[in-house]
Amino acid sequence: MRKITYKIERFDGVNNFVQEYSFPYQPGKTILWGLITIKDSLDPTLAFTAACRSAVCGACAVRVNGQAVLACETPLDAILERFGDTLTIAPIQNFKVIRDLVVDWEPQAARLAEAKTWLQPRDEFDARKGCRQTAADFKKINTQAACILCGSCASECSKLSANDQDFLEPFTYSKVWKFVADTRDKSAAERIQAIQDKGLWKCMHCAECITKCPKGLAPGEDIARLRQLSIKMGYTGNPGARHALSFVKDIEDTGRLNEAKLQVRTIGLISSIAKFPMALRLLRRGKLNPFHFPGKVKGHEQIQAILKAVRESEK
Amino acid sequence: MLNFDVLVIGSGGAGMRAALEAVRQEGLSVGLMTKMFPTRSATGCAQGGINGALQNADPADSIEKHFFDTVKGSDYLGDQDAIEHFVSQMPDAIRELDYFGVPFSRDGEGRIAQRNFGGASSPRTCFSADVTGHVILHTLYEQCLKHGVKVLAEWYLLQVVADQGKLCGIVAYDLKGGRIVPIATKAIVIATGGAGRIYWLRTTNPFTSTGDGIAACFDAGIPLKDPEFVQFHPTGLAGTGILMSEASRGEGGYLLNNKGERFMARYAPEKMELATRDLVSQAIETEIKEGRGFGEGLSAYVQLDLRHLGREKILERLPQIRDLAITFEQVDPINEPIPIRPSCHYVMGGIDIIDYRTCATAVEGVFAAGEACCVSIHGANRLGGNSLADIVAFGKFAGKGAADCAKQRHGFSEGLVGQAARAWEEKFQAVTTRKTGASVVSIRDRLAEIMWNNVGVFRTGADMEEALKVVDGLIKEYQTVMVPDQNKIYNTLFVNYIELGSMLTVAKAVVLGALNRKESRGSHCRADFPNRDDAQFLKHTIVSKQGSTYNISYRPVVITKYQPAERKY
Ligand SMILES: Cc1cc2nc3c(=O)[nH]c(=O)nc-3n(C[C@H](O)[C@H](O)[C@H](O)COP(=O)(O)OP(=O)(O)OC[C@H]3O[C@@H](n4cnc5c(N)ncnc54)[C@H](O)[C@@H]3O)c2cc1C
Ligand code: SF4
Ligand code: SF4
Ligand code: FES
Repeated sequence: MRKITYKIERFDGVNNFVQEYSFPYQPGKTILWGLITIKDSLDPTLAFTAACRSAVCGACAVRVNGQAVLACETPLDAILERFGDTLTIAPIQNFKVIRDLVVDWEPQAARLAEAKTWLQPRDEFDARKGCRQTAADFKKINTQAACILCGSCASECSKLSANDQDFLEPFTYSKVWKFVADTRDKSAAERIQAIQDKGLWKCMHCAECITKCPKGLAPGEDIARLRQLSIKMGYTGNPGARHALSFVKDIEDTGRLNEAKLQVRTIGLISSIAKFPMALRLLRRGKLNPFHFPGKVKGHEQIQAILKAVRESEK
Repeated sequence: MLNFDVLVIGSGGAGMRAALEAVRQEGLSVGLMTKMFPTRSATGCAQGGINGALQNADPADSIEKHFFDTVKGSDYLGDQDAIEHFVSQMPDAIRELDYFGVPFSRDGEGRIAQRNFGGASSPRTCFSADVTGHVILHTLYEQCLKHGVKVLAEWYLLQVVADQGKLCGIVAYDLKGGRIVPIATKAIVIATGGAGRIYWLRTTNPFTSTGDGIAACFDAGIPLKDPEFVQFHPTGLAGTGILMSEASRGEGGYLLNNKGERFMARYAPEKMELATRDLVSQAIETEIKEGRGFGEGLSAYVQLDLRHLGREKILERLPQIRDLAITFEQVDPINEPIPIRPSCHYVMGGIDIIDYRTCATAVEGVFAAGEACCVSIHGANRLGGNSLADIVAFGKFAGKGAADCAKQRHGFSEGLVGQAARAWEEKFQAVTTRKTGASVVSIRDRLAEIMWNNVGVFRTGADMEEALKVVDGLIKEYQTVMVPDQNKIYNTLFVNYIELGSMLTVAKAVVLGALNRKESRGSHCRADFPNRDDAQFLKHTIVSKQGSTYNISYRPVVITKYQPAERKY
C-alpha cells in the first residue's frame, strides 16, 4: 500500500526535534488533511493551527519542503508528484515558534500598529454619512484588501531572513500602500514620511513575497510603488534612492530591467557592502540560488516608473 | 489577579465592534480575548454581504421593508421590537464601517453598491466583491490596533464564574504562556460565535465554531433560547461541507440526482433550484433518503451541474466556486458536475438576551452579541446578509451595555475566580495523565454522525429520542475521555477536549428544544408534524440548566406590527 511520510520539525517549548509519521495515501487530499490525519489517529500531541480550511483565515501557513503554503488549499497530489512521497513540514520562518508548527503573531501585530495601518478618513467624510469613492478607485485597493495575514510572504522574505530589525513584514508595506492609495484617506504624505526609516529602501527585490502569496498580492511591487511616490515627494537623499538611480543606465541601455542581472547585482551589492556572511546564509537557506533564474519580475514596470520619477525630480 | 472593567471574549465582527465601543468610554480598562489570532474568526468566511436599507440601489427600499422581510424570513418567530430596532440602526452602522475603512464595492455615484439576496424585497445587501466578511473583520481589527485595544490573542475561555446571578470573572487558558489564569472583570461580552461544528464535517463553519461561549454561559446559569433552529445551506461540498455560494444557483446551476433528473421539479416546480435554503436542503435530503443520491451514509451526495452555463460564464461569474471545487473535490465544474450536500451553516439560537438595547443576559455583568447569542432577530430562519448586520449592530450595543454596567459595578467575590482556576489546574492534571478512556476524536465523530442523521435537515420524534440517548451516552463517556498530552504550552488537544465538552452541551440543548417543538417552522422541519402550529408554538424555547438537568420553558414572541401569516415566496 502506498504511504505518505511527513517529516515534521517539532518544538515542545524547550527542545527541537524532527518526527516522522507515515499514513496511507488517499487521492485528492490536501497538506492539511495529512496533518489532521496525524493528529486524529497517530499523535494527538502535534500542534498546528487551522480554522476556515478554505484559504481565507490565514491560520494554516506552513513550510512544505522549504516553501511557504496554506496547508488547507495545497493539493497533496501535486506536491507528491513533484517531491515524492516524503515531505518535510516546518513552521513558517521569520516568526517566533511557540510549539511545533504554531508561530507567534504578537510581535508582528505590534509592528503593524507601528506602521499605523488604519484609515485616516478625509475631513469631508464623517461617521454618520460614510465616504464616497468611485468604482475605479475601489479597484485600486481591492487587491491589497485581500491579504489574509497568513505570513507566507514574511516567511520567505530574503530581507527579513537576513535582518528583521530594520525591515517590516512584506504584508505591512502592502497595507501601508493600501491606505496611501485609498482615496478616502488623508494621510498619504504622513505615511510616506513615516515609512522612510522603516526599511522602505531595504527590500532586495527577490520577489519571494510575490510568488508565495496565496491571495495574489505583490508586496514587493507595493514597496516599489511606495518608493516611487517617495521619490516624487522629494525623498532622494538616502542610499536606497541613490541605489535606484544607479539602475537608470540599465533601463536606458536595454529598455527594461533584466531580472537575472538584478539578482547578480543584488548579490554584488550585498558583498560590496561587506555582508558576505549574510549572502552565504541566504544561499544556504536556498534564498539566493545563483543557478536559479527566476521568471520575469512582476514589478518591473514599477521599477521603471521609479526611474522616471527620479529623473523628473532631478529636473 | 489580572483584571479588567470590560473583557470582550471572541474577536469576530461582534467582539471587535463591542471592544471598540467599550474603549470609547473614557477611563475603562478593556480587553479583547480570543482563542486564535483575531483575524482567524468565522466572520472572515462570509462572502455575500451585509444588509442595510441604504436606498442606493433602489430608492423604493426602506427600513420598513427590511423590517417586514426579516419578520417574514424568521417565520414570525423573531421579536418584532428587536427587529425594528435592528433594521433602523443598519444604514448608519454600514456607513460607519465605510468610515472605519471597509473597502466596499461602489455604484456609479461612488456610493456603496448593493445586490439582491434571498428573501429580500429590494437589493439591499452591501458587499465588497466576494470577500465582504473578510474586509469587515480586517478593518475592525485595524480599528482595534488604532485604539490600542489590549488584545489577549490565543487565550481560551474556560469558564464564566458567577455567584448568585452576578458575574465575578472568568477563567482562561493562556495557550502561548502555558498557564491557566483567573481574571476578575466587572463585565464581559461573550462574542464567541456559533456552534456549527456539532455536525463536524457537515458544516460550512471553521474548526473553531464549537459553541464555547454558549456552553460556558449555560453552565454559569444563563438560559439558551431557541437552540433547535439550525440553518442548513443546501450546497456544501460533499466531502468537506465547504460552502458553494448561493450564486451558483443564482447563475442558473441545476441540481441532479443519480438518475440525472432535475429533481427540484418535484418539490418547487416554479422556483426550481431558486427556492429558499430550507426547502432546497429538504429536497436534497429526501432524494438521498429515497435512494436517488450517489454514495452512501455520511458521504452520500447529489450533483450541482454548472456545465450548461459554459466556460465563459463560469470563469467570469463563479471563479471562486470553480477554484474551491477543483481544490476540494478535484472536479472542474466546466467539465463535470460538483458533488454537494446540505451543510450546517448558522445557529439561530444561543445565549438568551433579555434586553436587546444592551444585550444583557440574566446574569448581571454578562452581555453577549453575534452568533453566540439569540436576541432574537432571526427567529426560525436567518436571511442571508442579516448576520454580518447583526454582529456590527448588536456588537456595538453590547459594548456600550457592558461599559455602562462596568461603571456601576463594584464589590464582588474575586475569591471564587481564583478557586475556579485552581479547579481547572486539577482538571488539567487529571485528564492529561489519564491512561484509559475514549479519544476526543471518537466522541466528536459519533456526536456529528447522530446529529446529522437524527437531528439534521429532517427530524422526527423517534429519531430524536434516539439521538438524545446517544448524546447522553457520549456525555457520560466524556467524563472519562483520555487527553494524552501533558505539555501546557499550546496544548491543542486540551483545547479540542474542552471544545468537545461545549459541543456536547450545546447539542443536547438542540435535541431537547427540537424534540419538544412539535411543529415545522423555518429551519426546523419535522416529518411527523409538517405544519406550523401558531396556536401552540408561537413562542421561544428557553432551556436552562440546574446541576446536570436541562429544563425547558417557553416565552411569548414579541409581536408589534405584523400578525403571523403563512410564509410564501
Ligand atoms: C462560509 C460562511 C459564509 C457566510 N456568509 C455570510 C454572508 O454572506 N452574510 C452574512 O450576513 N453572514 C454570513 N455568514 C454568517 C456570519 O459570517 C457569521 O454568523 C458571523 O460572522 C458570526 O460572527 P461573530 O462575531 O458572532 O462570531 P465569529 O466570527 O465566529 O467569531 C467568534 C470568535 O470567538 C472566538 N472564540 C470562540 N471560542 C472561544 C473561546 N473559548 N475562548 C476565546 N475565544 C473564543 C473565536 O476565535 C472568534 O474570534 C457566513 C458564515 C459562513 C461560515
Ligand atoms: S521582494 Fe522585498 S519584501 Fe518581497 S520577499 Fe523579497 S526582500 Fe522581502
Ligand atoms: S501578502 Fe499574501 S502572503 Fe503576505 S500575509 Fe498577506 S496574504 Fe499572506
Ligand atoms: S485554514 Fe484558514 S487559511 Fe487555511
